[in-house]
Amino acid sequence: MSSPFAIETTDLFRSYRTYEKNPGIWGSLQGFWNRKYTEKMALAATNLQIEPGQIVGMVGANGAGKTTLIKVLSGLIVPSGGQAKVLGFTPWERDYRYLRQMTVLLGQKNQLWWDISPNDSYSLLADIYDLDRGKAKNRVQELAGLLDCGSVLKTQLRRLSLGERMKMEIIGCLLHDPKILFLDEPTIGLDIVAQTAIRKFLAEYVKEKKPTVILTSHYMDDIAKLADRLLLISKGQIVYDGTVPGFAQKSKSKQKITFALTEPCAHPLILAEQHFPQGTLQFSVEVTDHQLPSTMNQITSLTGITDLRLEQVDFEEVIHDFMRGG
Amino acid sequence: MSFWRRNRAFFKLAIVTNLEYRFNYILDSIGQPIVTSGVELAFWSAIFASTGQQTIAGFDLHSYMAYAIWASFMARISVNWMYEFRMIEEVESGGLNTLLVRPMSFFEYYLSQFLGYKIVTTLISLTIPVAVTVALGFPMIWSRLLPAMGLAVYYLVFLFIMSFIVVTFAFHLTRIQGISVAKNLALWIFSGELLPLDIFPEPYRSALIHLPFSSGVFIPVAYITGRVDATVLYSGVLSISVGIAALSAIAYPMWKWGLRRYVGTGA
Repeated sequence: MSSPFAIETTDLFRSYRTYEKNPGIWGSLQGFWNRKYTEKMALAATNLQIEPGQIVGMVGANGAGKTTLIKVLSGLIVPSGGQAKVLGFTPWERDYRYLRQMTVLLGQKNQLWWDISPNDSYSLLADIYDLDRGKAKNRVQELAGLLDCGSVLKTQLRRLSLGERMKMEIIGCLLHDPKILFLDEPTIGLDIVAQTAIRKFLAEYVKEKKPTVILTSHYMDDIAKLADRLLLISKGQIVYDGTVPGFAQKSKSKQKITFALTEPCAHPLILAEQHFPQGTLQFSVEVTDHQLPSTMNQITSLTGITDLRLEQVDFEEVIHDFMRGG
Repeated sequence: MSFWRRNRAFFKLAIVTNLEYRFNYILDSIGQPIVTSGVELAFWSAIFASTGQQTIAGFDLHSYMAYAIWASFMARISVNWMYEFRMIEEVESGGLNTLLVRPMSFFEYYLSQFLGYKIVTTLISLTIPVAVTVALGFPMIWSRLLPAMGLAVYYLVFLFIMSFIVVTFAFHLTRIQGISVAKNLALWIFSGELLPLDIFPEPYRSALIHLPFSSGVFIPVAYITGRVDATVLYSGVLSISVGIAALSAIAYPMWKWGLRRYVGTGA
């Protein structure tokens, strides 16, 4: 591999042709004879360089282009233009030498075999990846131990809960020790216990094996706890590329003051440029470092304050603010 | 080594998966052949009874019954409804994603499963026509059964490539079950499942027999029931070989073209 980067893209983009249908039966009849197609840019020209061992978190609204980028880099779809090299291979050529070194976890899609047990699926994967059977078996036991799910390895996949299934999928993805991991929403739809377990497991795994990871998630905790680089994607374009702490620093809103009054306030209030109408009982104010002293002075001058708290603004809110252009 | 290892695993996967659903498997491998054999026997009995003739196109009722019993069995082998629909579904739903990211090809994955499923269920289904033929004393040349089955298995490869080509349309048109149904109905006639091809008048008779589709039902059944000799069997091997070569030449470019359009929906 001549490039120092595990992943490198140059003006990589992907557009889709979509059919616009007018509503109702008349719309269907019109569409039968005369279809109106539009071109939608799912991923605008992207230039990206990711070093080996880096864990990149991708954040963006639904339809922002995160999954499209993962699909192109994993070789699932062919881009409309531009270049990409992953471990020195062009992903969409699907060279088996490349496919043996990478894995994709699509959180909204089952990748193991629905009708057979995870153990049977792992045995099949060992055959597909040409792994030593004994070593693959030990690896399954090891990973199942870490994820605390050894008891369901012999149960048909379709009979498992969503959380158990996701754990099984993760084991299947990691069985061949991939150098590149594309994790698309690995904790989607899971309860908080399962989310935490998977997050903890992934943190330990990347620490030990040091693969290059691209992770997308709607749960900002996944990104904040795992990623050392953050990509924010909006409308098919990367709008932020930097570290997670760097992003938090960049944000104007950094702290949140919350408090309540024993009696509803008698007059409208303006705190850190935010308006609260007369009669408000519960307050939540986001402030910058600069606004903090004057706002605190203003608050403490009020009568009947209870439950006053000062906390760091949640990473998720910072991201949402940024995406809204705040 | 890894090629054979994974394809052996796909072959076994088809067996393991189907054995998970015991009732459906028994119905498919035994129930269905019994019902179709019964329908065919009733059909030919009714035709002979209504015409009042001893022979039709030179063959008597027993010959037609023997043909019908074995044709329904062979036709069960030489169709690909189940896997063709599954393959189409993979492209439509984005299920293909999970196969594309692994070091294997979609073609080999489904071909090995298809052969695995067919060969195992065939061995079980075979008991029905054998039992009926022995019990009712239908004309049958047992020594010809193995070569006829060999031809049927070879035909499966041709049949599968046809299915593979149909599947590539799903990249462009999404819903293509209509194409699949139309193709399978055409095969119902062209393979000789509906009627023995030798009762058609010339030149249709020769044309139909020389097409590769006749190797799915007509040639193997006609061979074991004594309607044709070995030269027809060899011509079947030849026409399948030509068919496989012709279809393979277009299958791969169509697949590559389709993949360029693929959007991996559903993930």
